[in-house]
Amino acid sequence: MFAFTVKWLGFLKGIPGLALFFDALLKLQLFLLRPQLLSMLDEIELEVTSWEGISARTHKYGGLQFDYLDKEIGHLHSNGLLDILFSFKIKEQLREEGRIQDHHVFVNTGWITFGIRSKQDIPYALCLLKRSYLQKINGRPAQGYRSDH
Amino acid sequence: MNNKIYNFKVLKGILLSNLFAFVLIGITRYLELHPGVFVYAEFVIIPLVMGIISTWCWRDLQLKSRSLTGLSCVNGLLAIVLSSVFLGEGMICLLIVSPLILGFVITGTVIGKAMFKRDNKNLNMSVLSLLLVLFVADSVSDHQHERMVSDIVVIDAPTKEVWKHVVAFERIDEENKYWLFQIGMPSPVAATVEGHREGAGRKCIFSNGYVFDERIAVYNRERDLTFDIVSQPKDPEIMGHIDILRGQFLLKDNGDGTTTLTGNSWYRLYVFPLWYYDIWAESITRNVHLRVMDHIKSLSEKK
Repeated sequence: MFAFTVKWLGFLKGIPGLALFFDALLKLQLFLLRPQLLSMLDEIELEVTSWEGISARTHKYGGLQFDYLDKEIGHLHSNGLLDILFSFKIKEQLREEGRIQDHHVFVNTGWITFGIRSKQDIPYALCLLKRSYLQKINGRPAQGYRSDH
Repeated sequence: MNNKIYNFKVLKGILLSNLFAFVLIGITRYLELHPGVFVYAEFVIIPLVMGIISTWCWRDLQLKSRSLTGLSCVNGLLAIVLSSVFLGEGMICLLIVSPLILGFVITGTVIGKAMFKRDNKNLNMSVLSLLLVLFVADSVSDHQHERMVSDIVVIDAPTKEVWKHVVAFERIDEENKYWLFQIGMPSPVAATVEGHREGAGRKCIFSNGYVFDERIAVYNRERDLTFDIVSQPKDPEIMGHIDILRGQFLLKDNGDGTTTLTGNSWYRLYVFPLWYYDIWAESITRNVHLRVMDHIKSLSEKK
């Protein structure tokens, strides 16, 4: 459903509040079908917001965005998809590890998507976020950036 | 925070937001701002504000996503149950409205969480004022929506044979394939006529015994049967939500022994937002069509 909506109805995301409503429906679906995944997302939020300089806010297209000094380090959609922007080089390295996918919309960019499905995925999600966080701390520019995301 | 205070704050959030919703709906009903119509403001803005109010009551509880979503569901479900008690809604209606109400209550909690985290009074007042303006503007706006849904079936039989089963048809015994019919929404089972002429009465009988009284407006043998709905049953699932205005069967001889049967229905909706309810209305109308037209097809093709 997520893939269908993003592919065919993605053009509607500019309507104020609609993406938030869609994300709320994802949250509702998760609460009804896999409530433990919501707890895992909470666990990630708790850990990441404990890092120095990190704040969490609502992502403009729904979900939870983590910022380091107002710069995004990644965001979590309410269906457990974690999106992070890396350089192309890091994306290739991560791809070799075999756990990430191209971003669900921006395929030919540095954006990656990692699907959190079980408790075993939490350490890897945190590792990806930490990598992005450290990159921001070190002030490295994020190549492959798409400003409309 | 001890359990007593926690429970009190949770309960306060649920009760206050529901009280707000019912007072506001009561005021709009009292002022007759949109008599007989359920508007966008009631299904979108009120649940949004309910979410914001409950988050304001829960702002000290440090609730995480799972608890917040769960409590929002309880909040929304209470509003839905109260609606069924006070507005006499049917089970299918409640099922249809649930994703909309629950979705917007949860959206409201997300917005509320962001608002109260910033704790910017000007911003909070701006958001609430904007929602109030939208509510008033929508409540006093004119709401009318009529549309036609059309479906086509090709039948391997001549028009003469198909026509016999279009005007009236014997009982449909096939199992329902549409999920809403399977869970209890009434589906058409038979049609009877008083005469084969314009002005004659026609009845469309549904599975729960409800009858749509119709009057034949156009009787063009083997081509066009159009009928107006004279009265529809007082079923809580449809009463005050949708009026079926007119139905039509058009037959076209394809010249190869087959017939193209087109079924058209016109309806008027009394529930908004359209982007949500019209999807349901269209889906239900289409499945009523297909149930009847598939039956006509199977009767006509019977050797």
